[in-house]
Amino acid sequence: MSAPILQVAHLTKRFGNLIALNDVSLEIREGELFSIIGPNGAGKSTLFFNIIGLQKPDAGQILFRGMDITGKPPHKICDLGITCTFQVPRAFASMTIEEAIRVGAYKRYGERDVARKVDEVIALCDLEEHRRQRCCDIGLSLLRRVELARALATEPMLLLLDEAGAGLNPTELTELMTVLRRLNEEQHITLCIVEHVMQMVMGLCQRILVLDYGEVIAEGSPQEISTNPRVIEAYLGKGAVC
Amino acid sequence: MTDTLIQNLLNGALTGCIYALIALGLSLIFGVMNVVNFAHGDLVMVSMYLTFWIGLGTGIDAAITPLLTFPLLFLIGLLVYYAIIDRTLRQRYVTQIAVTVGLMTFLRALAQLIWKAQPRALPYSLIQGSIQIGSYTILASRLVSAAVSVLVIFGISLFLSRTWAGRAIRAASDDLDAASLHGVDFRQTYALAFGLGSALTAIAGGLLMTFQQVDPTMGVRFGLLSWCVLAMAGLGSIPGLLISGVIVGAAEAMGMSLWDPRARSLVIYLLFILVLWLRPRGLFGRK
Ligand SMILES: Nc1ncnc2c1ncn2[C@@H]1O[C@H](COP(=O)(O)OP(=O)(O)OP(=O)(O)O)[C@@H](O)[C@H]1O
Ligand SMILES: [Mg+2]
Repeated sequence: MSAPILQVAHLTKRFGNLIALNDVSLEIREGELFSIIGPNGAGKSTLFFNIIGLQKPDAGQILFRGMDITGKPPHKICDLGITCTFQVPRAFASMTIEEAIRVGAYKRYGERDVARKVDEVIALCDLEEHRRQRCCDIGLSLLRRVELARALATEPMLLLLDEAGAGLNPTELTELMTVLRRLNEEQHITLCIVEHVMQMVMGLCQRILVLDYGEVIAEGSPQEISTNPRVIEAYLGKGAVC
Repeated sequence: MTDTLIQNLLNGALTGCIYALIALGLSLIFGVMNVVNFAHGDLVMVSMYLTFWIGLGTGIDAAITPLLTFPLLFLIGLLVYYAIIDRTLRQRYVTQIAVTVGLMTFLRALAQLIWKAQPRALPYSLIQGSIQIGSYTILASRLVSAAVSVLVIFGISLFLSRTWAGRAIRAASDDLDAASLHGVDFRQTYALAFGLGSALTAIAGGLLMTFQQVDPTMGVRFGLLSWCVLAMAGLGSIPGLLISGVIVGAAEAMGMSLWDPRARSLVIYLLFILVLWLRPRGLFGRK
């Protein structure tokens, strides 16, 4: 079994009286395809925001490859090798697709080599024909691809994807899954996906963690999760099991 | 009558290019970090005095002093950012306003203390003479100032669209969270934008001193002017900024020659209110 890449220990995040994350602990191992699922409002996006430093947790600790990254600013965390895509894509409105990706690529490359990295990512995400389009003029499925490409340009070791499959049609979904599998196998990027599209979770991931009302209610393989009564209850409501 | 009007309009339009340059500095600051900087105009005033000082002390021409004052104002901008602005970013708007108004008052008081209240001007400029176009005379210094302003504006536009640092500034302005997730250090980027925005006032100050005098109360006027130009242009369009600058400069000149020289600020106020009322996002604005 490979070493842990991300360890979250007893993480708690409150918004006023609302406890969005309550004592959440998890461990993602290097090279893994990990998934976090849960009903709306379970705290999945909040968990991502706390890991990447856009929000500071009220309690708990986050370790990345053994190093404490709790409360570090996002650009430092990006330096270390974690980045994230947004549930609602947030591209740079004033830029073309190519430029937006370039912003990510500057993380590891100077002006001289940056173009090569941009080309590589554009090819990988199949954005060649769109590279000069402006981010403010494109539709959702293309935006999702730009989000992914921009994140990849920073060369993460751990990539967090927040509902990257939402709003895609079946063909696009299959394409996305192929790209993600390739990233994992060829570039050894560890993936953690938050997803409502079960087809993607079940087809892609080795381990799944289930959040409900900010608490971890189950963890295990796709088979274990799909037959876990607590999970079924959380998704379908009480009484659905018996 | 029409001859003087056209003559004034020409002069106004040329000065408007400098206004656009000042407003570009402001838009770097406001557009990127959403800080309403009331002290911006007073940095122009300070730059003008510095130009005056350097000119008197060393004989260096006003048209050349920006080579010295640009880095100086950049440093002052960095200092102001780290000492004051950075601490108020997460505070309420009122706090930010109080802080920049405080800075504005401080700068003006400082200028009054050092240079007294009377207007100062440099005795000469390197750029001499005037150009005759038909029946209109244009001071060479005004023409050169406008040309330099346009060039600098163009240069900044290239910097923003072509370089790493420029793209970081735009990314932070488009979406700060997304930018930081992709490695943009927001504090460094904000400091750069603030420094650059302030440094542009050094160029404007130098250019203005080639044909104009300075007094400590001028800051307010330039502050107001640049807000007016920015409001008119809207955020995100650099050519729009230039056009708006020219419109404001021309309108000011028209007000002065058709109405009353003392009405210059009034015309600008009216224009400002009119634009905000009819088109809150400006003539060329994205959002
Ligand atoms: N900035 C915030 N301020 C206050 N409450 C928040 C904030 N962000 C999230 N919440 C609340 O925290 C809870 C968890 O939200 P979160 O967005 O993490 O859920 P999620 O699991 O991502 O849901 P979804 O599947 O709908 O995306 C929700 O009740 C939400 O209303
Ligand atoms: Mg979410």
